[in-house]
Formats: sequence, C-alpha cells, structure tokens
Amino acid sequence: MKRREFIVHLIGEVSSFILQGEPDKMVISLHQEPDGIHLAVVDDRVRSDAEIRNIEHSLNAARRPELAGYYGEMAGHDLLGASRLNLVGWQIKGAEVSRTAEGGLMLNLWIGGEGFEYGKFSLDAGAGHGAGGGKSV
Amino acid sequence: MATSGNALSRFVAATILLFFVFGVFADGPIPALEGFLRLQTSRARLLSDFTAIGGTGAAFLNAGFVGLLGLLVLRLNKISLSGPTAAAIFTMLGFALFGKTLLNCIPILLGVSLSALLVGKQPREYVLIALFGTSLGPIISFVAFELGIPPFLAIPASLIIGTLVGIVIPPLAITMLHLHQGYCLYNVGLTAGFIGLFAASLPNAGGINIEIMTDWGQRADPWLILAVPLLGLLAVLMGLAAGPGRSWKEFLAIQKLSGRLPADYGELEGPGGALLNAGLLSLAYCGFVAAIGAPFNGPVIGGLMTVLGFGFFGKSLRNTLPVFAGLMAAALLFGKDLTESWVVLAFLFGTALAPLAGEFGVLVGMIAGFLHLVVVERTGAWHGGMSLYNNGFAGGLTATLIVSVIEWYRSNAKR
Repeated sequence: MKRREFIVHLIGEVSSFILQGEPDKMVISLHQEPDGIHLAVVDDRVRSDAEIRNIEHSLNAARRPELAGYYGEMAGHDLLGASRLNLVGWQIKGAEVSRTAEGGLMLNLWIGGEGFEYGKFSLDAGAGHGAGGGKSV
Repeated sequence: MATSGNALSRFVAATILLFFVFGVFADGPIPALEGFLRLQTSRARLLSDFTAIGGTGAAFLNAGFVGLLGLLVLRLNKISLSGPTAAAIFTMLGFALFGKTLLNCIPILLGVSLSALLVGKQPREYVLIALFGTSLGPIISFVAFELGIPPFLAIPASLIIGTLVGIVIPPLAITMLHLHQGYCLYNVGLTAGFIGLFAASLPNAGGINIEIMTDWGQRADPWLILAVPLLGLLAVLMGLAAGPGRSWKEFLAIQKLSGRLPADYGELEGPGGALLNAGLLSLAYCGFVAAIGAPFNGPVIGGLMTVLGFGFFGKSLRNTLPVFAGLMAAALLFGKDLTESWVVLAFLFGTALAPLAGEFGVLVGMIAGFLHLVVVERTGAWHGGMSLYNNGFAGGLTATLIVSVIEWYRSNAKR
C-alpha cells in the first residue's frame, strides 16, 4: 500500500474511533519525514482511566504481521460497527496515550519501517502537543 | 500473548497427534498408508468424502499430514499459534477429510507466497490467506486426475495452474473483505467461490461436463464418532486447568464479543476462556449432529473441526445461536431433510455468519441464517465443487447483502 493510502486509512480508523465518542472538538496533526511519520490526534472528551488504558493497550498491541497484512486492510475502510484501534496498533511503530490539560484525549502515533526509531524523530514530540499539551498517563 | 500461544500449541499438537493415532489404529497402518497414497491422486471436488473413498484411517492420516504442513508453513514464516492461525490449522485438518491433500495444498501455498513477494511484502503477511486458500486444492486435483490429460502433462500443468490460482487469491481476498466488512468469518470462502466460478466455467466452455459429486459416507464408525467429542472435552479440560474461575470469567466475557473479524479470543480475553469456548461450542454442535441422526463422516467432522477452530476466532455459543435458529426456521419452513448432506453442512458452516448476530442482534442473526440456507443450496453447482468452502461462499454473499443494507440505512436515514 502506498504511503498516502496507508496514512488515509490510519487517520480514518483513528478519527472514526474519536468521533464514536461524540466529542465537540477533534484536531489531527501529521508530520512526515522520509523514514517515518508522526500522527497526533486530540479531542476534548473526558475519559476514565480504564478507557485510557484500553486505548493504550489496543494501540500498543504486539506486531502481528499475519493480521496486519490481511485484516489490517480493513483499517479506515470498513467502518460499519465499532471502530477497532487494534487494526491500527498492529501496523504502527509505537503510540503514546495521554490526557490534555482540558481532560481530553491525546494520541501520539509513530509509523515507520523496521529500522525506524521514533525516539530519534526530528520533530519534537511536544510539537504535536500544541493542540492540547498532553501528559502521559 | 505467550501463555495463549503455549496453551494453544499444546492443544493443536494434541489434535494432530490424535489424528495420527486414529489414522494408524482405525484400519491398521498398511491399509491406512495405501489409502493415504490413493487419496493423493483421487478427485477432490465437493463432496468427496475421504473416509468413504480411502477409508477412515487413510482420511485421518491425510488430515494429520495436511495439519503438519500448515504448522510447517507457520514455522517457516516465524508466526506463532494464535486464534486465527489455530482456526486455519483446524480448518485444514477438517477439510483434509474431504478434499485437501498434501499434493493439492502445496501449489496454493507457494502461489500465495509468490503473490506477497510480487508486491514487496513478506510471505508471512499473507500466511493466513495461504492456509485458508488451500480451499481451492480441488482445482489442482481436477487438472491432474480428472481431465483425462496424460500424467506427464497433467501433473506439471496442475502445479502451474495451482500456483497461478494462489497468486490471485490475496488481492481478491482483501477486496472481498471490504464487501462484508469482516462479518463473515470465512472470507477466503467467498474469495475461493468467486475464483471457483471462473475455474469451473473454463472447462465448461471447452465442452467438459463437470458433474456434481456426492460421496457421503454413512458408516457408524466409532473412530469417526469419537474424534471431535474427545477434542472438545480436551479443550474444556485444558481451559479449566488454566484456572476454573478465571477461565469461566473469560468465557463469559467472550460471549459478549461480536466476533467480527479479526477477534482473537485468546488475546482479547484469555487462553483458558478461549479453550472453554471452543470446547463447549464443538460439543454443542456434536450434540446437534447426534440428535438429528446425521452420520459422523468426513465432511461432517470437517464442519465440526471448523466450528472448534473458529471457537478461538469469532464464534461463540451466544453469537452462533441466532444464526442456528434462522437456519432451522428456513429448514422447517421449506421442509428440508435435516440429515441431507448439504443441510447438515449448512448448519455447521453457516455459523460463519455469527458476527452479524454478535454486532447487530438476534433478529439480524436469524435473518442471516435463514438466507444462508436458501442460497447455499444453489452455490455449490455454480463453482462445480472446485472450492471446498461452499458455505463460505454462500455466507459471504449473505453477509454482503445484509451489511450493504445496514450500511446504506445507517448512512442515509435521517437522524
């Protein structure tokens, strides 16, 4: 899958998940570099600690190439029914889930190949926090 | 999840071992081996009951080897056993009692791997498509042993055609997935039926009549009757051994899941609950087969093995029940004989539509079951039995119909 389509599908699934919570506000920020991508998504819906833990668990699921290459194709495409963050989790390098100062949700997703280390991403992770100023849970 | 993998690995290993033990002892080792060799060159289209064609021992031996082949493919691709891979292995084991052989599986597996390499992916990304894709093995057996071509031409031609078929499965499987959006568990069944239409039409265009086969064993063989109930019982015991209280809690949590693809119950809730679910589900359907007096032959055991396998990956007692009720309503309304081959198989394999009930409720599940029974009677003739997953084909069509209507309504109805 081309990078553009891949990004569109990931944004589709994540934004579907966010909109399922019926927030008043959603902000999506994307930063691309040659070997990696940073996607930040922010909303203003207050969530419980258990909800945040579940989101973090889904997004940081172990890599499952046998599922990502097949069922992962449904991400951001087949949106009838509950959205599924694990489809995204299998395909990304890492995710951070935190709360914004207003109590909303902040997702920082890093996408890249096997050799991509998101800790070395040139964009300051804080830059993505501009939409809300996140704090890790 | 490592624990999930360990428990599943032990259960899968025990299953394959049981198949080999039954293979050796049912008819004795020499007849089993002779029958096994005969099956490799036998026709394999639906319905070819290997327990009737080669004997009980030969059929179990063939299934054991096909199961081992599936495990070898997983090992070569460095993929561990989980809900979906276990479902694939159990499906391979089951269908190797009525259609899959070592010979007709290998070209498909090779073709799907080549397909991955063609688009710059690793073969392991398509390993599930490869394992389930062996549904189209009968095409290889058809070209090699049914067309009447001299063997020195037929065998290489069948291997090449099988590999080419394997190459086209992944793009179609991914497209088909979008049609029903993961609400039919046998997505490769829909894919294989679609390919089977073309595979059956080509020889037909050349004037070759593809007759429908109905090899349907009727023997009350204790080895056949015992196989799945023993496995179901073992799954329940292994589930309880993981901690009765915890496994029961996980089992109850599984009943609340929709089962929509991809729902790996071991990972979502826990290995004990997944084993308990698979075991109880298979025992329940064994009870149904016994209650209606249908024979425990190759295709029926294949159906039960698939129910068992998908008990780790999408089916539960709760989400299969409405589909079962819909199937029963259609069978009674149209006066179908419950012991007729295609009706029994529809009850077992029709549970592929369980996620519709899990996500949209009892009524939708019942409608799905009802429509499935209506359509599955016709679909087998369309592909001439070239795809072994005829119920997957019918189920995929049914799910596509229902999902399209629900999506259209939800997208367009005024809020």
